[in-house]
Amino acid sequence: MKTMLKWGTGIWLSLTIVMAFLYAPEMTRPNMATGGFDAWPSFRIVFFHVPCSWIAFLAFGVSMVASIMYLKRPTVYRDTLAMASNQLGFLFCILATATGMLWAKHDWGAYWNWDPRQTSILILLLIYAGYFLLRSSVSDERKRARLSAVYSIVAFVTVPFLMFVVPRIMFSLHPSPIIETGAEKGSMDSKMKTVFYMALLGFSGVYIWVLGIRTQMESLQRRLQS
Amino acid sequence: MSDLYVVMTTVLVVWVGVFLYLVSLDRKVARLKREVDRNE
Repeated sequence: MKTMLKWGTGIWLSLTIVMAFLYAPEMTRPNMATGGFDAWPSFRIVFFHVPCSWIAFLAFGVSMVASIMYLKRPTVYRDTLAMASNQLGFLFCILATATGMLWAKHDWGAYWNWDPRQTSILILLLIYAGYFLLRSSVSDERKRARLSAVYSIVAFVTVPFLMFVVPRIMFSLHPSPIIETGAEKGSMDSKMKTVFYMALLGFSGVYIWVLGIRTQMESLQRRLQS
Repeated sequence: MSDLYVVMTTVLVVWVGVFLYLVSLDRKVARLKREVDRNE
């Protein structure tokens, strides 16, 4: 069953990639100068950029929940789950930043513009880099797990603020949310939404799979050491 | 249009590479787990 799910995830994401380029229609954006609409080919990166960002949010959230559970009743597994999920959240956050930078280069002319959304995600990366620094600086296992759990919970408080609030209260070059119902110009149509949700599901599958591998590896390492 | 196919193929090749790496890692971890269980 697990093997089928893993291969299913692989085939699903492969299909999503093909559909993102061949099935999803071209997006347009308004041209202020002419009053018309221009083709927007770089938009297709949204099928990778946004799911990476959402999975980062999910992973940090899972870590926070595991950390709360650890503080309620400390077990090695809960600490491992929190750490592994934060690692994956960090990785997906980097991927979201990298894809965002590629998109920024194409649309805004430079990889980095100190745009509020770019700056807020950089701050988020620094906050979670602090989590790994903390873990590597404490040698006692229980103390490390307890401090990491507290840090993870506090760090997640900043995530909704940095990811969703800051970029909306300040002027930003970043496109506003476009997953809207209806056929308004500049919003996602049904084909795009299909591919978008497929990508979200596929990336979620990859996250769950890699989280499983990572927690198993960590558990095996502890068993071998003991 | 050809740029579209080039980018799509690149992304697909990268993903297939990552996927096959994850599959091999998964198998190694499963094999290690069986050995550790057997030795314990």
